[in-house]
Amino acid sequence: MVKELVQQAIDQGIPAQDILEQGLLSGMGMIGEKFKNNEVYVPEVLVAARAMNMGTALLKPLIAEAGIESVGKVCIGTVQGDLHDIGKNLVKMMMEGKGLEVIDLGTDVPPEKFVEAVVENGCQIICCSALLTTTMGVMEEVVKAVEAAGLRDKVKVMVGGAPVTDAYCQQIGADKYTADAASAADAAVELCRELAG
Amino acid sequence: MTERERFIKALKREPIVGHCPTFELTFFLTLEAIGKIHPIHQVFHQWNQMSANEKKMHIDYCADVFIETAEKYHHSAIFVHPNPGDFDNTVRLLETIREKSGDKYFTMMHGDPTFSMPDGSNMMEFTERLYEDMDGLKKEARQNLDYYLRFAEKMAKREGLLDGFCLCSDYCFNVNPFFSPDMFSEIIAPYLKASLDAYRDMGFYSIKHTDGNIMPILDQMVQCGPDALHSLDPQGGVSMAEVKRLYGDKIALCGNVNCGLLQTGTLEQVAEDTRRSLREGMDGWGYIFCTSNCAYTGLPLERYELMNKIWWEEGIYK
Repeated sequence: MVKELVQQAIDQGIPAQDILEQGLLSGMGMIGEKFKNNEVYVPEVLVAARAMNMGTALLKPLIAEAGIESVGKVCIGTVQGDLHDIGKNLVKMMMEGKGLEVIDLGTDVPPEKFVEAVVENGCQIICCSALLTTTMGVMEEVVKAVEAAGLRDKVKVMVGGAPVTDAYCQQIGADKYTADAASAADAAVELCRELAG
Repeated sequence: MTERERFIKALKREPIVGHCPTFELTFFLTLEAIGKIHPIHQVFHQWNQMSANEKKMHIDYCADVFIETAEKYHHSAIFVHPNPGDFDNTVRLLETIREKSGDKYFTMMHGDPTFSMPDGSNMMEFTERLYEDMDGLKKEARQNLDYYLRFAEKMAKREGLLDGFCLCSDYCFNVNPFFSPDMFSEIIAPYLKASLDAYRDMGFYSIKHTDGNIMPILDQMVQCGPDALHSLDPQGGVSMAEVKRLYGDKIALCGNVNCGLLQTGTLEQVAEDTRRSLREGMDGWGYIFCTSNCAYTGLPLERYELMNKIWWEEGIYK
């Protein structure tokens, strides 16, 4: 259905950026708000994201042709020693739903891989996920690796996952903690705007 | 009163004299605690090649791990993780535990036929099935139920070996359940209830575990009829006092000592949270003291031992 509607909009000559922002991302934004308010649950978010991705696939070549840039670039991963990925994947989906370009580093990601991804892709944000209390300590190593690489003023580090708290975020010197995937996406957009100045 | 009897009294929410019972779903720190490798951390590639004597020695070893852990930390229950996990070896392990420790401990094992929330790699496929193949999912749920009930029926014939099942499918994130309450009522609750009813009819007790924020589906879980709920995850915002207020007359509670604090909190925070859990849980009976998950690999042993020491000194019904 979404695919057909997007094609219809393209055929009517509506600019790709308008279709993306006023149609797909706006719709995904509404789902994100409902998710934050516990009005919808993860399965509803996932099917909405699937629908959005089908529409986005049609728009991608048109957006590239028009030279439209994404809202920002994020590299995301579950930290070293941790193989859990549902939280990370949800955040990724929500971020894409906000127009961010997301480079997914997968699970069990060592700190230096986050830094390499920033350098290679020009990411503004590193997003670290951990489900285990035993692995969340790696997030501090990521912050230190970013500092060691001289990137601290160019990159924001976001943290999240079941055992992570705002107090822990502050304790390790990360920039932002959010409790859920939709809030993470909102925060990432804000941080990209801050960095853009 | 044996530890087993104490545990059963807590499951039935009956008054207890002496210590509030304690256990852990899994106590992985056995190498540090008792110098023995946890059965889950052992790999038996050549099991079928082993002589009967060697198999017996391995099963003896696994039984010793469970019993010595329970002895050291005054656990009332042993959650058995059979390895190998087939029926015959599970029976041998349980028989060995009973031979060595009699009826001292309540014995339980995994037995959850319901779908857990998916992991990241299959979350989309699973979600698509929720919307496009609900009949297929229900058929699969029924098959899972039948499998677990067949196992339980066979186990029930071995009288005195196993006391109960713990149903460990996780349903919830910190912020909310994966399944909406409507979805839960359609694809989880019927099979959860059927398994719990059948276990009860066979003479088994049951504990339903899930991490995360259970509050939106708590009523449905309670209505399904487990004897107890585990783990009352404070990281998921679950207040044991509130759950007790709502359902303390219907169900026993287990857990709630914050695993996050056990890992990263100060010793004072660990002590404070342990005392809070004891205070809230022991009020009005029906409480089994334990962590809000398990004593997992990587948990500092001294933190668990601090929690256990406070329980030993203060977790006593007057």
